[in-house]
Amino acid sequence: MSNSELSKILYVEDDPDIQVVAQMALETVGGYTLCVCSSGQEALDQAEAFAPDMILLDVMMPEMDGPTTLGNLRKMDSLSVTPAIFMTAKVMPSDVERYKELGAVDVIAKPFDPMSLATRIQEIWGECHG
Amino acid sequence: MADSQPSMHEKLAALRSQYAERIDARVDDLCDLLDVFGDANESKRRDILQKLREATHKLAGSGATFGFPGVTEHARAMEHSCVDALNGDDNIEVGLVDRLRAMSDQLRKATETQSTETQSEAEKFSTQQDGTSVGREDNPHLHDSSRQDILIVMEYSAEQERQTRLELAHFGFNVRIVDHPQKMIADLKAHGGVDIIITGVHFDDSEDAAFKALGELREHSEFCTIPVVVYSEIDTMTSRLGAVRADVKAYIVKPVDMADLVNVMDDVTERHEEEQFRVLVVDDDESLAQHTEIVLQSAGMETRIATDPMQIYEVLDDFSPELILLDLYMPGCSGQEIAAIVRQREEYAGIPIVFLSGESDKDKQLSAMELGGDDFLTKPIRASHLISSVRIRVARFRKLRSFMVRDSMTGLFNHTTTKQLLDNEISRAQRAKGSLALVALDIDHFKNVNDTYGHAVGDRVIKALARLLRQRLRSADIIGRMGGEEFAAVLPDSGVNEAGRVFDQIRKAFSEIMFHTGDKSFNVTISCGVADFPRYDSATELSDAADKALYAAKHGGRNQVVKAQ
Repeated sequence: MSNSELSKILYVEDDPDIQVVAQMALETVGGYTLCVCSSGQEALDQAEAFAPDMILLDVMMPEMDGPTTLGNLRKMDSLSVTPAIFMTAKVMPSDVERYKELGAVDVIAKPFDPMSLATRIQEIWGECHG
Repeated sequence: MADSQPSMHEKLAALRSQYAERIDARVDDLCDLLDVFGDANESKRRDILQKLREATHKLAGSGATFGFPGVTEHARAMEHSCVDALNGDDNIEVGLVDRLRAMSDQLRKATETQSTETQSEAEKFSTQQDGTSVGREDNPHLHDSSRQDILIVMEYSAEQERQTRLELAHFGFNVRIVDHPQKMIADLKAHGGVDIIITGVHFDDSEDAAFKALGELREHSEFCTIPVVVYSEIDTMTSRLGAVRADVKAYIVKPVDMADLVNVMDDVTERHEEEQFRVLVVDDDESLAQHTEIVLQSAGMETRIATDPMQIYEVLDDFSPELILLDLYMPGCSGQEIAAIVRQREEYAGIPIVFLSGESDKDKQLSAMELGGDDFLTKPIRASHLISSVRIRVARFRKLRSFMVRDSMTGLFNHTTTKQLLDNEISRAQRAKGSLALVALDIDHFKNVNDTYGHAVGDRVIKALARLLRQRLRSADIIGRMGGEEFAAVLPDSGVNEAGRVFDQIRKAFSEIMFHTGDKSFNVTISCGVADFPRYDSATELSDAADKALYAAKHGGRNQVVKAQ
């Protein structure tokens, strides 16, 4: 991939509490540009115009869950290979494998530590482009 | 990155205390669900379990992030029990409710134990709340999250200094004051940067000192981005020009209510997390449209292309753009005609329409404008020129629109907009099977305030309350001024207990803010009625329930929050 700098992250999360703390963690600490969406549908509407370098999705959301959202995003040409990470409160080793099969490069467990979230994202990004 | 760490810690601490304030009430809302479980039939029980599952899932996912590892642990246990019961083939047994209740007791205990890191923050907060260890002047009883540091360069007397310090502290600012511009940079160096500088301009009988000091300030890389506001009795062209040249963000002429000054400061220091500009490009030539689109997107704007002008309404309704870039010559109909069609719809009568065309004939350009265009850009156009033309117009459009949807005195949503947003939130909650709380709020004996102290003072009270609400509520919450001394708030994803708890804290905080006029000081109280969806499942029922609860609060002696059950 030619562009190896992570700058824009599409972030999909329905819980406002988590939204605000993750946004802070990624924008203030990580210095990334975020497009925050509160639902899968919003993400589908915003994704192409925002053209993210990475997608970060909550798994369990009402209406359209994370995996379905990712599936729909993948149908867009410009997002067919964008690295995606799931965030979920339920991480079993078997789940991680399943999420990876769904096209995620990694899974971040919730609850997360706000101070190290950006570092973790950067690590995963590094692995994608290593 | 290292620079942003301390402020990140502060912000986190603020978020954590906000979360801590609500968590107890969220558990109350869970228990309410359990209370109706026993009497419910099988399908209703599944419904309740599903709701419990979603609520505990959220708590499990957020608890430890906000410093409550125990909450994560116990909420997760409850979530698992719900999932197991939902996935089981058998009917859901009533015994489950007792087990869930036992777990919710543990969950409640866990809400009382914060991890050590947040403990200190919580303690600080609680000592402030009961006011034992902090002097009143420094203790405005407001939330820490938006506390800002101000440096004031004062023109006049010590008495004014004391008063300013006092009033700004009530609005939640940390104030430092120096009495001459020459001392400004030294103070910044000695005590660190601030979020905003307010300065007078009249020192030593001239305006030179202030502007000279501001010029020097801009040469210090660590302070050059601090926004500066002039606050002065002097209002001359030379002084205003000096201010413009010193890159001053606002020029306020005394006397002005502190609340107005605070509003200006809020505007100036506003963190720019603004929504992307939305621009619709109408051009039958797709490759040209795409080129325009790429230029605008490179400037961070959101764009949509319409190549078929006949479908303009569909695109408008779907995308709700803030500016339309229109080609002049298209097959089927012309750009002028499209502009006229767009203007026929009332809701788009004000949207900026900019023609983008190779047409260089001035007469034709003017005739295009007559039919509803706002500007005419001639192709080929430099990318930077296109971007700034669009940006300026969209920004102005947003400002204008904000006058239509917001109450001019407080900046809160007006009555009509609040009602619309409530409808939107209810539909959203219905789709997501979520909850929301509506709060009706009214200032107690407001007429007395106006009659005793005058309308200007009454306005100050209203602005102070508006500001407190904005400070205490989350950005997702909707706050409206419904008229006079009536306010409303919509809290998505909250039940009646959570909202009740939050507003009881707001009620307490507000009652402790002192207002000053002449040599008199007084305080004002508020009453609130709270109701939640889906207990009341339409906008009308919800509003009625909240109003009735407010009525009950008034009749119960005012200065209280009543929940509609």
